[in-house]
Amino acid sequence: MCPCLSPGLVSGSSFGQYGTKLEPHTIKYAIIIITLLGEMRLTSPKVEPAKVSDDLAIQTLNLTKIFNSLVAVDSIELNIKKGELFALLGPNGAGKTTTINMLCCLLKPTGGTAKIMGYDILKQPFKVKEIIGVSPQETAISERLNCWENLSLIGKIHGINAKELKIRSQQLLETMGLTERAKDQVRKFSGGMKRRLSIIMALVHSPEILFLDEPTLGLDPQARRAVWEYIVRFKGEKTILLTTHYMEEADFLADRIGIMDEGKIDALGTSTELKISILEKHTMIIYAWNLTQKVINEMRGRYKEVEVTDGTMIITDKKLDFKEIVDRLHSLGAIVRSAYIKEPTLEDVFLTITGKELRE
Amino acid sequence: MRFWEISKRNLKELYRDPVALGFLLGMPLAFILIFSFAFGGQATRPISIGVVDEDQSQISAAFVSCLENIPALEVVSPVYESESQAEEELDTGGLSIYLLIPRGFGEAVERRQAVDLELAYNEADPMLSQRAVPVVRAVALEFLNIPVPLNIELREREVEIKDEYINYLVPGMAVFGLMVLITSVGGIMVRDRAKGFLSRLMTTPARPSDFIFGYTLPFIPVIIISVAIYLGVGVLMGLSIIGNLGLAFLILFIIGICCLGIGMILGTLAKSEEQASAAPWIFIVPLAMISGSWWSVEQMPSVIRGIAEALPFLHAMDASRAVLTRGVGLEAVKDDFLFLVGWAVVIFIIGIILFRRSMRS
Ligand SMILES: Nc1ncnc2c1ncn2[C@@H]1O[C@H](COP(=O)(O)OP(=O)(O)OP(=O)(O)O)[C@@H](O)[C@H]1O
Ligand SMILES: [Mg+2]
Repeated sequence: MCPCLSPGLVSGSSFGQYGTKLEPHTIKYAIIIITLLGEMRLTSPKVEPAKVSDDLAIQTLNLTKIFNSLVAVDSIELNIKKGELFALLGPNGAGKTTTINMLCCLLKPTGGTAKIMGYDILKQPFKVKEIIGVSPQETAISERLNCWENLSLIGKIHGINAKELKIRSQQLLETMGLTERAKDQVRKFSGGMKRRLSIIMALVHSPEILFLDEPTLGLDPQARRAVWEYIVRFKGEKTILLTTHYMEEADFLADRIGIMDEGKIDALGTSTELKISILEKHTMIIYAWNLTQKVINEMRGRYKEVEVTDGTMIITDKKLDFKEIVDRLHSLGAIVRSAYIKEPTLEDVFLTITGKELRE
Repeated sequence: MRFWEISKRNLKELYRDPVALGFLLGMPLAFILIFSFAFGGQATRPISIGVVDEDQSQISAAFVSCLENIPALEVVSPVYESESQAEEELDTGGLSIYLLIPRGFGEAVERRQAVDLELAYNEADPMLSQRAVPVVRAVALEFLNIPVPLNIELREREVEIKDEYINYLVPGMAVFGLMVLITSVGGIMVRDRAKGFLSRLMTTPARPSDFIFGYTLPFIPVIIISVAIYLGVGVLMGLSIIGNLGLAFLILFIIGICCLGIGMILGTLAKSEEQASAAPWIFIVPLAMISGSWWSVEQMPSVIRGIAEALPFLHAMDASRAVLTRGVGLEAVKDDFLFLVGWAVVIFIIGIILFRRSMRS
């Protein structure tokens, strides 16, 4: 269900083109003992997956993070269904990254908790880590390794066998158009190439849940499309939580969108639902002659917001009737040259809800 | 084997950076060379040589004064009249080498017959004879000025090991050098943290122990090579090894492991690469001093001595010195050895606990 696919973005273009014996026994035993100690402390206590409603992949319960006195994430309650693609849309400092970091067990919440596929992020972090893939906001790759080695590092830590790893890496490199440079040390890559590698490193072990923190930051339009197209392939199959500044990205990709600002999720729903929720934000733009003060006063008396700048009148209100407005203007003596009604965009939704413009 | 995967990556990260690696391995070489030249003795100084003139002729006296005029030699005065005096000096360490001018030397020179000379030296110092022979030969040929057969006979003498400073210095320097490794071990981890790569690895199921071992293992070859450099250059500089080299190597290896662990702890705690690499200097040099890297700490105040005793460094130096230059076996250094192993284990447990805490800040 994606009511918001704008046809322009799903162009038919082919996306395929993007594509030791030295240690004495003592040391060996010491290492084994230490390892065991470490593991013991970490695997206990054993907790069975909690019974949450079966169709939820991610469920946050009052999830809160406070840095010193700054409330970065303010007791958010988020339910993301299995197979859903959820986008967190918000300006800088909204708390998107902080939320993701808590969900992938990098940050300890100040309050509340979350369950990922039923595993509690506080009690079973390593269970959670086995099933998630994370593409961090900053490009996180190992500079002196090549693409293969970077992918294989993550894959092997997840216990993927070499053969499968090779096939998957090949596919992913192909998709992101990195095959040709796959054997170069990645420190020689451009920012966008590094970014693409960083994204596929989150995918190499086929995680059930995918966290993508601003996946297309710093990519050129072509690469961005490739990433979108790739993400779309997983729709319905994997649960994806994505953050973005890009309105059209959320609009194009997401099943549901959460608008986040100052640590809170201020609005949540499908793109259409969000737009409907601000239907009073319909605007009519009218180009007319003879917009006298009388006309303006009369209109201001009838509609919520009326702005006039030489020859252009902008009326904003809930539900605007095109014919009624044009007729009224005519009867007041103004001559309408042209006029149209603007439907609300996600941008308007965002602006209305947060009172802020998005960065891009 | 997640730790193995992580350590493979770090191995590549480390060894594909030739400059950093050069520093890491060049450091022990520079240390040991500078220190042994500065304190180790003979290498560049004139060879101090005793002369026994049994011939007591005018010709032999002229030869002696000729030797005395050579800058590369420092003839011990007075010239001995009998070999027994020189032997005694050699045995007690007053001399490392002496030249014997046998009876009949003058006569042989006059008659243009074959001339025999003898060099006797401390067998612990074979380098010395190798340096001395060509000098003596050149002087003799110059002196004779005509082609006569010249034999220089070499004689090794087994000499009781004297406690030379180099024997004290090399194990001390080795431990100090390994302590300096503390400044580099945390580097990769700190850089990874700054660049977000560590966070990425933390979103995988890798455990704290995987991280600690994964980031330390790549430095093990560095320890092995460093210890080999310290001991190897030490021997060239006159270190006399009479004990079990393998055991001494092992002791130094374990203190090296302790240092890796300490470096890892700092890497876990440090906020920046500068912190991880600069902060350790504050304690490395003082600790090396009070642990006896460069001079004996027997006479230090008991508090300081106590601190040094509680830490592993002094034990590593004492044990490796005992093994290398006194030839004792594992039995004699067992306590020190177990103490070191214990410290290594404790350090790694602390490292893992601290890393575990840092994983969920
Ligand atoms: N480690 C930290 N210590 C203190 N404050 C932090 C820390 N991390 C984040 N913050 C603060 O928390 C708030 C939320 O930051 P966060 O990174 O989650 O925002 P974001 O929505 O991801 O923004 P952006 O779009 O810029 O990535 C910010 O005000 C930030 O300053
Ligand atoms: Mg962010």
